[in-house]
Amino acid sequence: MVDFALTSEQTSLRDMARKFARTEMAPHAAECDRAGRFPDEIYRKAWELGLMNLNVPTEYGGTGLALFDQCLIVEELAHACAGMTTSIIANCLALEPILLGGTEEQKHRILDPFCAEYHLASFCLTEPSGGSDAGSLKTHARRDGDHYVLDGEKCFITNAPFASLYTVFATTDPTLRHKGINAFVVSRDTEGVLPGKEEEKMGHRASATSTVRFEGARVPVANRLGADGEGFSIAMRTLDQTRTPIGALATGIAQAAIDHAAAYAKRRHTFGKPIAEHQAIQIKLADMTQALRAARLLTWEAAWTIDHGERGSLESAVAKCFASDAAMRVADEAIQVFGGYGYMKEYPVEKLLRDAKLAQIYEGSNEIQRIVIARELLQRYA
Amino acid sequence: MEIAVLVKPVPDAETRLRPDAGGSGLDPEGVKWVLAGYDESAVEQALLLKESIPGTSVRAISYGPLARAEEVLRFAIALGCDAATSVEQPAGAPDDPLVTAAALHLALSKRAVALVLCGKQAGDDETGLVGPALAEMLGIAEYGVAVNVRWDAASSALTLQQSVEGGLVRVRASLPAVVALQQAWNDPRTAKLPNILKSRKAAIERMPASEVSSAIATVQALAARRLAFRLPPPRTGAKMIEYKSPEEAAERLVRILREEAKVFP
Amino acid sequence: MTGALALLERTAGGVTSASREAVGVARTVADGGAVVGLLVGPGGTGPASGIPVDRLFTVEGPGLTDPSTAQYAALLSHAATQLGVARIVVPGTARGRDVVGRLAVRWAASAATGVTDVTLGEGGSLRITRPVFGGRASETLELPGPRQVFAPKPHAFSEPSAAAAPAPSETIALPDGFDKLPTRGAEGFEPTAGSKGPELGEASIVVSGGRGLRTPESFRLVEDLAESLGAAVGASRAVTDAGWRPSSYQVGQTGRSVSPQLYIAVGISGAIQHIVGMVSARVIVAINSDPQAPIFKVADYGVVGDLFPIVPALTKEIRKQRGLPAGPTGSGPG
Ligand SMILES: Cc1cc2nc3c(=O)[nH]c(=O)nc-3n(C[C@H](O)[C@H](O)[C@H](O)COP(=O)(O)OP(=O)(O)OC[C@H]3O[C@@H](n4cnc5c(N)ncnc54)[C@H](O)[C@@H]3O)c2cc1C
Ligand SMILES: Cc1cc2nc3c(=O)[nH]c(=O)nc-3n(C[C@H](O)[C@H](O)[C@H](O)COP(=O)(O)OP(=O)(O)OC[C@H]3O[C@@H](n4cnc5c(N)ncnc54)[C@H](O)[C@@H]3O)c2cc1C
Repeated sequence: MVDFALTSEQTSLRDMARKFARTEMAPHAAECDRAGRFPDEIYRKAWELGLMNLNVPTEYGGTGLALFDQCLIVEELAHACAGMTTSIIANCLALEPILLGGTEEQKHRILDPFCAEYHLASFCLTEPSGGSDAGSLKTHARRDGDHYVLDGEKCFITNAPFASLYTVFATTDPTLRHKGINAFVVSRDTEGVLPGKEEEKMGHRASATSTVRFEGARVPVANRLGADGEGFSIAMRTLDQTRTPIGALATGIAQAAIDHAAAYAKRRHTFGKPIAEHQAIQIKLADMTQALRAARLLTWEAAWTIDHGERGSLESAVAKCFASDAAMRVADEAIQVFGGYGYMKEYPVEKLLRDAKLAQIYEGSNEIQRIVIARELLQRYA
Repeated sequence: MEIAVLVKPVPDAETRLRPDAGGSGLDPEGVKWVLAGYDESAVEQALLLKESIPGTSVRAISYGPLARAEEVLRFAIALGCDAATSVEQPAGAPDDPLVTAAALHLALSKRAVALVLCGKQAGDDETGLVGPALAEMLGIAEYGVAVNVRWDAASSALTLQQSVEGGLVRVRASLPAVVALQQAWNDPRTAKLPNILKSRKAAIERMPASEVSSAIATVQALAARRLAFRLPPPRTGAKMIEYKSPEEAAERLVRILREEAKVFP
Repeated sequence: MTGALALLERTAGGVTSASREAVGVARTVADGGAVVGLLVGPGGTGPASGIPVDRLFTVEGPGLTDPSTAQYAALLSHAATQLGVARIVVPGTARGRDVVGRLAVRWAASAATGVTDVTLGEGGSLRITRPVFGGRASETLELPGPRQVFAPKPHAFSEPSAAAAPAPSETIALPDGFDKLPTRGAEGFEPTAGSKGPELGEASIVVSGGRGLRTPESFRLVEDLAESLGAAVGASRAVTDAGWRPSSYQVGQTGRSVSPQLYIAVGISGAIQHIVGMVSARVIVAINSDPQAPIFKVADYGVVGDLFPIVPALTKEIRKQRGLPAGPTGSGPG
């Protein structure tokens, strides 16, 4: 049975994340958004407090939280700033392939030193020629003795300009399609690893995104994750794990939008009363609240399912897709509640809309999520 | 040396205050209990001292209903306290600073504690009496409210700084002593996630209600009786000063402060 | 048993205003009996002249220039026992409050601090009212007899009018074992750079500035305004976090709680964490460009507008009204 009551341990994890979000992140959110600044000092502090490598088990130096508890934390962080949250949880995304596909030796060799200090990692799947169609990667890995030689370009890679480690998906044989793909752990120090310059983005401007070029980068075979050709499966299983926290991130944005809108509606007067007393505004707030609560519950359900040992492809796709669509709608309505002020950068709600948008795109666009959902659904019918 | 830090569970600052059914106290329904703000400063100060004085350990002590007290103790452990003692409030025991002091005295009289740190006052009843009353019970010095406590290794002494008009007074404290904290020099630290997880499993020493009952028996007669708990009438919102120029705004405001509010110096 | 004892705390050349307030309150709880003042330490009875007590006790001894709370408590319980009074009123200063705690234990009395109202109750009890939760609520308590000690909240009671003639005074002896009590151990004083105003926690006027001031330099506007009023300077956490001013300036949940007669908030939005630290001020004035700022909900008077022209104009007007020279005397650099 699902139990909706949080344990006192979960409450204290959430409270800690809330405190960090409010005291360390929120005060800098607007400034980083405006300037497109990557607040390294905040990320370092997040690492110091154990907020960074949430999914890595403690034996490798991470925090080792269940997915459900990760979601509680991500929602709180995203309430303060979704962009910073994207950069904070990018490590979880980048390290998950190692947790899923790595051997004990690889996990200790790679993760122990990585987690022991403040480091960022990037997950490199998307390419300029396409993100959704992950089976037709162009980045090439050529076997050369006990090394692979990587050539190609990845794009839209979170934290890439500052990462010390990349998990890279590349094909050894494009004709094999999915079956030719392998996952590699590539150190930034490797010659021929060339992160590009930071992109100018619409939202999540406290996060950094860039291309990474590989020009004859030599990666030891010992850094290949899983059996030869297992890379695609590792990528998909990784996304099954990390999609749900995107639902939590979107929920955090929606909660922030409602918090701002409700408080504003009680303060702003028109026609002699607070706009919160106009029914049109109440209906908006009621609809926003329904969307928020459904988003949170679907996220919790997906996390709970996966924590109970199931793959949860359907549940996590539903959660991510629904929650990000909900965040988009709720942020949109929050701006409407604010009226003209909502459209001004001096007020916090327009940022929420720009931030919510990304949740519909990355970690598998919502179109792709719907394809997954439909596939999972139809499989259940003869 | 052993430092004890007193930690009190109080309603979270964002709690919506409401009188209970009898109208004499706060309605506890839905209240989230957290470590009192100044107590958090005291914990921070205790941990800073622990980090600067070799061989120091910090014990957090809390008196209150068991579940609430243990929750703030786990929080204190997550922040870095080495050990914790919960002093269980007997059912029906009055909420009064002298009773609290007597209960904490029970926990402290059994140990050789060099320094007792507490917050200047708790965010709920704001009496500020527990520290001084406890010092009197223990028969030790009490140095009032400090903004900073430093350990001088050369002379093995504590130096406190207290905020007074126009500056800071430096006070040399001889131990054992009770010191109240106002705001730590450094902001209270945030507990690390792994430490929060560990704190859930930490052992907490318990002083059962039965033992506490006899320790508070005599002071209980001094306890204040709660007659009423009231919310102030809602402020109706500010009276806005109308003006055409900054000079006019200034003139009008000064006139109002002088003639209407009668607070002009 | 009637009568009450009030502690008089010396300051340079006088006694604290909190002491005079304590004497006024002592009159209420003396129930028709005598009000006796206790003046500790060297300096003669001069500072107490004009204080409307019926008798004055003085006590001198080594180390009593700056007594510890333990010493105060011992002297007060000694004097009360000698007089046979059952009520002691202690000034509502930080030190006074600590004296209440020690004295309650030593003298076996019921105790309270921050008292804003007191009336005589039944059977020798007192009914007192005091703010709780940073002034967001208040409680009424019955302090049981036979003995009570309490401290009024600063500025909650008005000072009594001065006495025409000094009260008869007598010197009392130190109680037994007095030399074994902990002493205060004050060593030195470090003036805070630039801060010449009164102590934040005890000032009767506080002027606070927030993020609306935009830069550490323009925070000077708030300091100049405070100087014109003889007020203490406070700040929101946005200001102390940004390092514009030290954290000792912070008013609010995690800073200082203040309850002055007048609180002026300049460019402060009024977050709940700030409000809990100042809401019990008697009169609150807010200056903010955003008419929707929550600070206006708790303020008594509001000025909606750009602080940059308004605050200097206000400072100028106040200086004019108070007969001070036009320019500020300079509390900051230069
Ligand atoms: C800020 C940011 C950070 C990112 N971080 C990372 C990262 O760290 N690592 C990483 O690998 N990638 C990252 N990405 C990439 C992201 O995952 C991709 O942008 C996303 O998967 C979509 O790929 P695409 O942009 O190539 O769009 P395309 O795949 O070209 O899709 C274009 C449109 O067509 C739709 N579409 C595509 N195929 C179908 C179909 N079969 N049926 C219906 N509709 C379809 C898509 O939904 C979309 O609307 C990031 C992107 C952004 C913007
Ligand atoms: C755990 C915790 C504890 C906290 N403790 C405290 C505390 O003890 N004390 C505290 O103060 N805060 C505290 N805070 C922070 C609090 O939540 C607020 O963030 C803070 O009080 C905001 O400070 P501010 O009002 O100066 O800034 P803002 O909220 O940014 O407000 C600035 C105001 O200035 C106005 N303004 C801007 N320009 C002008 C102009 N030209 N003229 C006039 N007005 C202008 C704006 O309209 C706005 O209302 C705490 C927060 C947390 C999470």
